[in-house]
Amino acid sequence: MKSNLYLIIRREYLERVRRKSFIITTILMPILMLGLMAAPALAMILAGTESKSIAVVDYTEGIAPMLQNNDELVFRAVDKHIAIDSLKKSENYDAVIVIGEDAVDNPTNIQMYTHSAPSMMTESYIRDQMRYAIREIRIQRYDIDNLDQILAEIEPNVGMTTYRLDTEKEEETSSALSYFLGLAMMMTLYMFILIYGQMVMTSIIEEKNNRVLEVVVSSVKPRTLMLGKIVGIGLVAVTQIVIWGILIGAASFWGMPALASSVGTDGDADLLAMIAQFGDTGRILVYFGYILLFMIGGYMLYSSVYAAIGSAVDNVQDASQLSSIATVPIILGIVFSMVVAQDPTSNLAFWLGIIPLTSPMVMMARLPYGIPGWEIWLSIALLVVAFIFMVWLSAKIYRVGIFMYGKKPSLKDLARWATYK
Amino acid sequence: MNLLEATDIVKDYTGHRALDNVSIAVPQGKVYGLLGPNGAGKTTLIRIINHITAPDSGTVTFDGHKLVQDDVRHIGYLPEERGLYKKMKVGEQATFFARLKGLSSADAQRQLKEWFERLEISSWWDKKVEELSKGMAQKVQFVITVLHRPKLLIFDEPFSGFDPINAQVLKNEILRLRDEGATVIFSTHNMGSVEEICDNITLINKSKNILTGNVEEIRGRYGKDKYLLTYTGEHAALASALQGSCASIESRPDDKLGRHVAEIQLVDSEARRPAIAQANSAVDVYAFQPLLMSMNDIFIKAVEEANETVPPEYIKQ
Repeated sequence: MKSNLYLIIRREYLERVRRKSFIITTILMPILMLGLMAAPALAMILAGTESKSIAVVDYTEGIAPMLQNNDELVFRAVDKHIAIDSLKKSENYDAVIVIGEDAVDNPTNIQMYTHSAPSMMTESYIRDQMRYAIREIRIQRYDIDNLDQILAEIEPNVGMTTYRLDTEKEEETSSALSYFLGLAMMMTLYMFILIYGQMVMTSIIEEKNNRVLEVVVSSVKPRTLMLGKIVGIGLVAVTQIVIWGILIGAASFWGMPALASSVGTDGDADLLAMIAQFGDTGRILVYFGYILLFMIGGYMLYSSVYAAIGSAVDNVQDASQLSSIATVPIILGIVFSMVVAQDPTSNLAFWLGIIPLTSPMVMMARLPYGIPGWEIWLSIALLVVAFIFMVWLSAKIYRVGIFMYGKKPSLKDLARWATYK
Repeated sequence: MNLLEATDIVKDYTGHRALDNVSIAVPQGKVYGLLGPNGAGKTTLIRIINHITAPDSGTVTFDGHKLVQDDVRHIGYLPEERGLYKKMKVGEQATFFARLKGLSSADAQRQLKEWFERLEISSWWDKKVEELSKGMAQKVQFVITVLHRPKLLIFDEPFSGFDPINAQVLKNEILRLRDEGATVIFSTHNMGSVEEICDNITLINKSKNILTGNVEEIRGRYGKDKYLLTYTGEHAALASALQGSCASIESRPDDKLGRHVAEIQLVDSEARRPAIAQANSAVDVYAFQPLLMSMNDIFIKAVEEANETVPPEYIKQ
């Protein structure tokens, strides 16, 4: 009956891979993601002309001229004799700043009135400008020659490079980059487990409603059908990941050197570091390998839970409550990953990375920081043990659940079905 | 020789017993009727025969050995609730199911083409199932059920959803398969739909087997020494004349001509000739004929004999 498992897997796989939607998402998704990342930058360039004008009523008469405009904010000094209330009502100004007479000595005597809540960026920009202006005025009071030059000479420009000792060659790393890389990998994995896991569930519900299920199980064991479905849909996910891996690998191998040469050596240091990281094709492929391993493990674990739930219910609405059994740990995995990414070597990070329910997501967040190989393999091994157990348990529930119609089952029902002969 | 024997099957679900010591023996090359109301346990029994669920106790033997998973390759099953993969093309889907039953891809396609031609549905090959009407899809499913030339064919409510013409086409195809050596099990709640083609039957009611046997033998047993007498005259006169030769007699008005029909149970077959003479002397006799009981009537009788209440849908209005 092994060949039947193959036939089921083949049917499930081909049915999905042949769909236009699969081909489109697989090709378009990476482009869309790049577009999404580039979109804020593009939006800024395109929408940069819209600036806010701020009326500055300056009783000190020294600060206002020193405030620097930027792309978004234009400071306009206003005659202090104009009534402030009329400024507040004026539609020409988005905000009004009132600088008290003693503001240089008492910098708390500054008020800003706005029509809508200012963004944090705006507020901190204005605060910086104020501090800078007041500092300049205070320094000028000392009346020292060449003070600007002296200060410039004193100001140190610190640039520290971090080297990792645990990898074979001492490579340069950036923890910020590791952080974002980890989160990106974790989100990818989360998406895959959730989307493909739920695909297993809805597909089983559909088969059940369709009643085609009884025809199939008169030829193959329910367990074979369930396993075939999980593996077939899983292979679709693997196909997608592999295609993306190849696309990104190619971009890294050919695209990044081209980008690096166009930026040149005197470009922005962060950008160059990023290009260097993404240009390391070997490392990217290793990461994709890990994504693949943890994706398979996490997917097998969660999709079998979804399969059991799908077998038990008659429609997707009934499933929503039960499926929180699977969804909650996945979301917890995400939440913990965020925490773990801040401190990837802590005890908490270690344990969450070992426990199968959270390990796929948490390990994604930890991997870019470099963690001992044995931890990775222990985590994978435990994940495999967990999913084998879960597939076995789910198959027992599935076998009974697929013939249950009409009643919305509880968790207790599922537990009882698992014990049936 | 029996192709299939299910012995003392018990199956419990939480809070209710779906099958209570049910046994059936299906002879090779015959048509077997599994009859009973909805919810009696027929589908559960069929699932056990199909190796889909396991009984809590009891044994199933197939072709002389204990039923194992591989045996399902020799069984073709058309479930009551029909269903196919809607997005899959007809030909591809039929090939898929045939391969699950162990046929090679080439064999499956060749035989499918034959069947499709015979049923005049060749043009559906590249259509998706969702494009077919319900009746068309059922025809495809019928082909899928029988394609791998199973030794045992199981049809659950086979003719529901078919128009009379197509139902007849299917009936003929099933009988042809039987003539070629296949054994057939029909499961239905509609006693009348299969009684003329079943060789043997089992009546199941409330999870219990209440009657099993050869159809002719059962008919003979339930109709033994029962006759219908059509007459004009007084029921009381007839009843007193027949005293001694008949065990029970019931009369009802028959038609507008004022005739009555009496259902007579004779004391034994020896009593027939004297009974005719006695009746003839008391009333004006138009006809005297053996009473043929329908399977529906036999079911009601059997249920009553088992001291159970007859499901209302079987009582004639």
